[in-house]
Amino acid sequence: MELLAQAAEGAGGANLAEVVLFWVFSVLAVGAAIAVITLRNIVHGALMLVLNLLAIAGLYLTLESSFLGIVQVLVYAGAIMVLFLFVIMLLGVDNDDLLKETRVATRFAAALGGALLVAALLFAFVGTYTSPSSLCGQGTGVVAGAGEVLCVGLAEAYGPDDRSGVAFLGLRLFTRFVWPFQLAALLLTVATIGAVILARRRDLEPEDLDVGVADPDALPPSDAELLRADADAPGEAGTDVPGEEPARLGASPLAGSDPTERGERPTGHDRPSDADRGEG
Amino acid sequence: MEIGYYYAVSALLFTIGFVGVLLRRNAIVLFMCIELMLNSVNLTLAAAARMWGGPDGQVFVFFVIVVAAAEVVVGLALIVNLFFRRGTLDVDVPQLLRY
Repeated sequence: MELLAQAAEGAGGANLAEVVLFWVFSVLAVGAAIAVITLRNIVHGALMLVLNLLAIAGLYLTLESSFLGIVQVLVYAGAIMVLFLFVIMLLGVDNDDLLKETRVATRFAAALGGALLVAALLFAFVGTYTSPSSLCGQGTGVVAGAGEVLCVGLAEAYGPDDRSGVAFLGLRLFTRFVWPFQLAALLLTVATIGAVILARRRDLEPEDLDVGVADPDALPPSDAELLRADADAPGEAGTDVPGEEPARLGASPLAGSDPTERGERPTGHDRPSDADRGEG
Repeated sequence: MEIGYYYAVSALLFTIGFVGVLLRRNAIVLFMCIELMLNSVNLTLAAAARMWGGPDGQVFVFFVIVVAAAEVVVGLALIVNLFFRRGTLDVDVPQLLRY
């Protein structure tokens, strides 16, 4: 913690604490990011993403932006990733898509695009921004040479009483950026309402279903079929009595036992449980 | 630490997210890769704010985090809907607009 505090202050020139923390956190961040895209289990990938976000929060600390680090931990690692894990658990998807091979052309395009992108970005950044004058926290009196950029640092903008920058950010949010701040509030409200409406289960119209499917036989029975089957057995619709099963069996050639009623899918992913299907 | 190293790390993170979007076909993993890219851009903004001595970049990062939270909420609701309708999370399967 002392190291963190020392790094957050950004005191001194080539601060050893900052260098150490930078390498630790950046190696963690890059390694966890690689794990996110290579791990087969989605839950493991999500946990690796949490590690990546925490490492980035550490990088914010070394960048004298401790408020951002805390917001990152709270909002990203706390709220957003919990939402991700919640959806993964809700859908019961612990299967992965890496079992199916991607096409060679896709892999080639991904490798080429990635190499080009990282080469272009590094070409733009390395050199100009890695010169000695872009070392932050050297204080005044450093002059940038030709083609170099001087690191100003945040201490001056923060003022003497505000090491973390929270006072500065609060002042800016409620003066210069008050209009985007209000818009962000509006956006959050709209997103919440939209998510509630989207996530609400409702009876699907028959024309909503089975559209654009190449091979209808390969698909499980649609909601419409299940509804028709329920209509054939009045009084039993929506309940989980065993007597419901023959009616649904009649409607679906692929039907098996009730939890896996819709049978094997060609993709091999897990099915949603049938328990929430009769509620609509 | 020279700011260029922070830029390099965020370039690497962005590229990893980009390659992940191209390679993976699970909708949730795709979403997580997009989060990776958003975070790398956030890191660039914070580094640039320190470099130029203008902490307004941190305000931008703050807003990006807010927008990302809203985006995740709506996107995950869409993914749940897609899964309940199509029974799969493979983004190659839904082809409603293809023909």
